[in-house]
Amino acid sequence: MMKRTRQIPAGRIVSAVLIHVVLIIFAILIIYPLLYVMGSAFSPSSSLQGIGINPFPQNPTLIQFERLFNTTNYKVWYTNTLTIALMVSCATLVITSTAAYIFSRFKFMLRKQMMIAFLVFQIFPSFVGMVAIYVLLLRIGGLDTKWGLALVYIAGNIPYNTWLVKSYMDSIPKSFDEAARIDGASNFTTYRRIILPIAKPILTFLIITSFLGPWMDFIIPRMVLRSEKQLTLAVGLFQLIDGRTANNYTMFAAGALLVAIPFVFLFLIGQKSLLTALGAAGVKE
Amino acid sequence: MDTHLRKKALLSGCLWMGLGHILYLKQQLKGALYALAQFAVLFFVAFEQTAEGLALNFNGAIVKGVRGFITLGVFNPDLPVRQRDHSIFMMIDGLICLLVLLVLAILFVLSIRNIFKITAHYKATGGELPGNRAFVRSVSEQAFPAIGLSPLVILLLFFVILPILFSFFLAFTNYSFPNNIPPANKVDWVGFKNFVDLFGGGQAMWTGALGRVLLWTLAWGVLSTGCVYFCGMFVALALLNRDIKVAPVFRSLFILPYAVPSIISLMVWSNILNGTFGPLNAILKQIGVIQTNIPWLSEIGFARFSMVFVNTWAGFPYHMLMVTSILTSISPDIFEAAGIDGASNWKRTRFITIPLVLRQTMPLVIMSFTYNINNFGAAYFLFSGAGSTRGPSAADTVATNANGIDIVVSWIYKLTMQNPQKFQYAAVLAVLVFVVLTPFAIWNYTRTKSYKESDLL
Repeated sequence: MMKRTRQIPAGRIVSAVLIHVVLIIFAILIIYPLLYVMGSAFSPSSSLQGIGINPFPQNPTLIQFERLFNTTNYKVWYTNTLTIALMVSCATLVITSTAAYIFSRFKFMLRKQMMIAFLVFQIFPSFVGMVAIYVLLLRIGGLDTKWGLALVYIAGNIPYNTWLVKSYMDSIPKSFDEAARIDGASNFTTYRRIILPIAKPILTFLIITSFLGPWMDFIIPRMVLRSEKQLTLAVGLFQLIDGRTANNYTMFAAGALLVAIPFVFLFLIGQKSLLTALGAAGVKE
Repeated sequence: MDTHLRKKALLSGCLWMGLGHILYLKQQLKGALYALAQFAVLFFVAFEQTAEGLALNFNGAIVKGVRGFITLGVFNPDLPVRQRDHSIFMMIDGLICLLVLLVLAILFVLSIRNIFKITAHYKATGGELPGNRAFVRSVSEQAFPAIGLSPLVILLLFFVILPILFSFFLAFTNYSFPNNIPPANKVDWVGFKNFVDLFGGGQAMWTGALGRVLLWTLAWGVLSTGCVYFCGMFVALALLNRDIKVAPVFRSLFILPYAVPSIISLMVWSNILNGTFGPLNAILKQIGVIQTNIPWLSEIGFARFSMVFVNTWAGFPYHMLMVTSILTSISPDIFEAAGIDGASNWKRTRFITIPLVLRQTMPLVIMSFTYNINNFGAAYFLFSGAGSTRGPSAADTVATNANGIDIVVSWIYKLTMQNPQKFQYAAVLAVLVFVVLTPFAIWNYTRTKSYKESDLL
């Protein structure tokens, strides 16, 4: 009797090898810049020229972190950004989730028109109205303050996120609310006890994205914040490498590393909720 | 039954908003609120706040605001600079006043519509009027939405709508360096002059720069979206291949660029690609691929390639995640059926998986396109590294501030924030972005499930 052997077709082997090769090239392209910035942060040399191509420094040192903390206002930038991010995240959560619930469950005047307007606002990058925002903040005393910047972000977050959360809430059956109403729950109780727990994945996504926004934005803080004491990280770090001089690169790398590490952790922890939320957000068809 | 009820209510309602409700429709409460709104607005029209107190001279804050919006102030060289009229402030104050008047006008239309509704009900029921109690009931039903939405409406009105309106109107002024920067000088309305300057060759150099920037913006939008999307899809499909052994490791690795703040990755790349000291050129030299440095960021062709490449690096993980989540939601039955029909691995991918994914991610692709068109960072931070130039310059760069890699949004930024400031042209570009992208967004939305299923439109 012939022994049955599992024959793997040659074509499958070739394609598997090819895919592996491409994936490994991708992996190198992705990991090298990240290793490079990490290596730079621990390098004794202060300029880009001094580092060479090996991402791992010969004699690693913490000198760049010391320089960062002693010669710049890095700690102030960090706490500023953290404060703003927390304000934006909380306010966005409260305002948009309430609005999304209302748009999803209530009928009222101008509802359609408002939702369509949101759609249009959402594509308009907020900085094209910079001059107006500047004058407005000047008028209400919000220039060079954290709350002024936070207000701009919160308003900018509303249109897109309201859409996002509303379409998620639309998928929650209305019979859930009706059951609660029959039990005598008020609008607010229904919202808090029934809708919010079910909408948790999208709300997690909302909290994370609105928290991350201020860390990366540059244009608006550059305009709104004037004094060194109020700067956010993006502006501060940019200043380090923006000069004509090229001798702050490793200090910048150290600063960037201290921002990127918590980010990456947040992401790896929240990967699952991220996938759920992204699925709900993008896959609408 | 009063046959002239509608006529009487309309007449009095036009005389003073809400009067019809009070006198004829037995809804005194609602009528009083309408009347109060009109009173508040008229108060700020009629009374001027002066040093001696209120003066009834029909020169109130709203009148002043609207007048300021029309004239943009008076140029008075005898006054010290700080006391001269500030055209831009006047324009924004005027816009706020116009918004208030608009709200009043909307209220007025609503009150008239309400009169029609009530009198129709009156006719249909043979003399029944809803009264104050019905009003109170409807208010208590609407209280939750009204209170819940009020912070949102206020924020949007001032921080989103007002700036958009403002930059729209700015496109019709001459707000620019050096001769029209308030408060030292005043700004004037100039009609369509800026549009003619930019589009019609009124300023040949600017029209040339605009053509270049527009072409590159369009090419950039298509190239960058295509690259992130197809790389993302390729990686997602590859990682679901049953022959890939360490897929989770690869996946966690590939997600990293998405996790790192994009501004940081762009700044890191701007250093890696640095033509003189960057490690990329150093590596290529060491392995003998090149002899002289490649100007990755300062020669136009290479610079544009670098932009697309770095954007792909930073953007493909998002699309990888999206496609993965779609693929895992596709029912395995489809694949099984294909397997029974004898479809090979490749055929299954080519004829089932890819079309399914393409169809489901279309809204995402459009969204990604509008995002990339507005991707300021890719055109700005990549060209900001230590010792590097600001990107490859063109013949008109000194005058127009637009270089070879600028897309519309980065040009808007430069015109607004860097010398010489040309706010009026920035505003024209903003109007252009708005006009071009709005149909995309709406069309994209009409394709989505929430549009097809909801009662919204």
